[in-house]
Amino acid sequence: MNMLPVDVAITRFRRDLTIAAVLRALLVAAAIGCCVAGPVFGHDGMFVLVFVGAVWMLLSYRSMQGTRIAADSPSLIAAGEFERAENHIDTALRSFSLFRTAKLLSLHHLALLRHAQRRWRESALLSQAVLSQKLGNLNGLARTTLLLLADSMLQLGDLKGAFDAMNRIYRYRLSLGEALTLQMLQLDYGSRIGAWESMLQGVGGKVQMAELMPTLNAARSQAFLSLAAHKSGRLDLASWLRKRAQLLAEPKDIASDRPILEEVFRQ
Amino acid sequence: MESVPLFLDVHTLLEASQPRPRVSWTQFMIAGFVLAIFLSWFVGRTSQPPQMQQAISTLIGIGLAFFVGSVAFAGFVGVRRARAEYAAVGAVEELIQLRRWPEAGLLLQTMLSRPARSPFSRAQLLLYLSMVLARYHRFEDSVTVHDYVLHEIPLDDATEHAVRLARAMSLLREDNLLDADRAISELRRASRGMESAGLALVEIYRDVKTGHPAEAVEMFESRLQVMRKQLGHRAADVWALAARAYDLLGRTTDARAAFENATLLTPLAEIVRRYPEVEPLSKTYVPAPAPAEVA
Repeated sequence: MNMLPVDVAITRFRRDLTIAAVLRALLVAAAIGCCVAGPVFGHDGMFVLVFVGAVWMLLSYRSMQGTRIAADSPSLIAAGEFERAENHIDTALRSFSLFRTAKLLSLHHLALLRHAQRRWRESALLSQAVLSQKLGNLNGLARTTLLLLADSMLQLGDLKGAFDAMNRIYRYRLSLGEALTLQMLQLDYGSRIGAWESMLQGVGGKVQMAELMPTLNAARSQAFLSLAAHKSGRLDLASWLRKRAQLLAEPKDIASDRPILEEVFRQ
Repeated sequence: MESVPLFLDVHTLLEASQPRPRVSWTQFMIAGFVLAIFLSWFVGRTSQPPQMQQAISTLIGIGLAFFVGSVAFAGFVGVRRARAEYAAVGAVEELIQLRRWPEAGLLLQTMLSRPARSPFSRAQLLLYLSMVLARYHRFEDSVTVHDYVLHEIPLDDATEHAVRLARAMSLLREDNLLDADRAISELRRASRGMESAGLALVEIYRDVKTGHPAEAVEMFESRLQVMRKQLGHRAADVWALAARAYDLLGRTTDARAAFENATLLTPLAEIVRRYPEVEPLSKTYVPAPAPAEVA
């Protein structure tokens, strides 16, 4: 598979954002100029205004096409069709867009793709590139990118980076799906720093949340909680959580990315 | 005396939520644009005094600017409304996931009582409506919604399979065994060998309900891995039904173990609410004890 290099994607993304901003400013300035100086130039000014309007509409249409191409990528990534997703993202990143949103979404999708491909460093770099932009009212994009960044940092073993990303997420109001992902990240992070007691705070609510997760994450969350309960000497709770996790998935699958969880099933 | 409208009245909601045809502004936009260009060109060619030409040009300019602005404003308002509807659909989904059924029902009643903006949102809301109705044990109404969705709305294969499964389960719950059996046969034909944990669950429930525990146990034992993977915590349903089937066969050790696994994943009260056939087991077997922190 021909992979789009991350540094090239980020450079192209920044260059395109600058060009689009300059073009927008030029078109707006030309339109204002036509209105203000219209009486001086007569109907020639009118023609320029019409031309500016036509250019704006044409570029908006092209931007919409780019947005449509980008919109297909998440479903392709979820279906495991990485090559097609890569092509879609590449096309979306190459196409011109007058608006920032399409470009930001495309770069975010590339971060999502690299995360699904388990290329944690690249995913983290792309997430940071998205977050370095002013996201304004794109709160949803900021939240999901921060969750991606936190997970990539955890996988890279950069606990400080993961902590910073999770801290930034607290500024936002999360959807249920995002809250579930955050809980999973918090448990993973807690197990890496040995914060067993804090992992067990509000354990009843955490178990209920785990029940809403996809099967493997539900099993893994309860395995993390079981580990914390065992380390804290709450053996009944540890055993109950371990049995539940085992009913949901095989221990080797639960511990596949998180070797620390092997300890749970040795108890 | 004035009659009180029924909460989540299916026929009323199906009627009221039909999206209204909307006027497309595209042709007006193109026509306006062409007219402005033509007028502009025409004014330049006429032999009117320069002051007059200037005044007309300014007027066209203002008109064009107003026109472009109003199109942009209409687009902005449309996008905002579509986003609000999308957010409301997401809110219903979250309420259902959190099992906050009364709030989900109220929100559905409000949203489906007016024309939906997009057919896609309406389809989503109708699927959620069928879930809420099933939760309130209004299985006949739930089947009505399923039938409407299956006949009137184009669905992708996975969604259609899920709707047909939910319909078969509702038919079983309302003891409409003949239609349920037909629905299951259709599902089996349509699945074409694809492993569906949902279908296995429905078949096990049918076998338990119709007094065929041996078939239920056979299905359970052969499909357990798939059901475990696909159903997550809802695997408790399968364990509970398997416990009932083992018990009917007199395999008490297996029944006890299956009952314990079921109650380990889901509280007994919730299992009995979903499958009243499991209730007799609570008199014979002991549910798995939950630690105080999570009880």
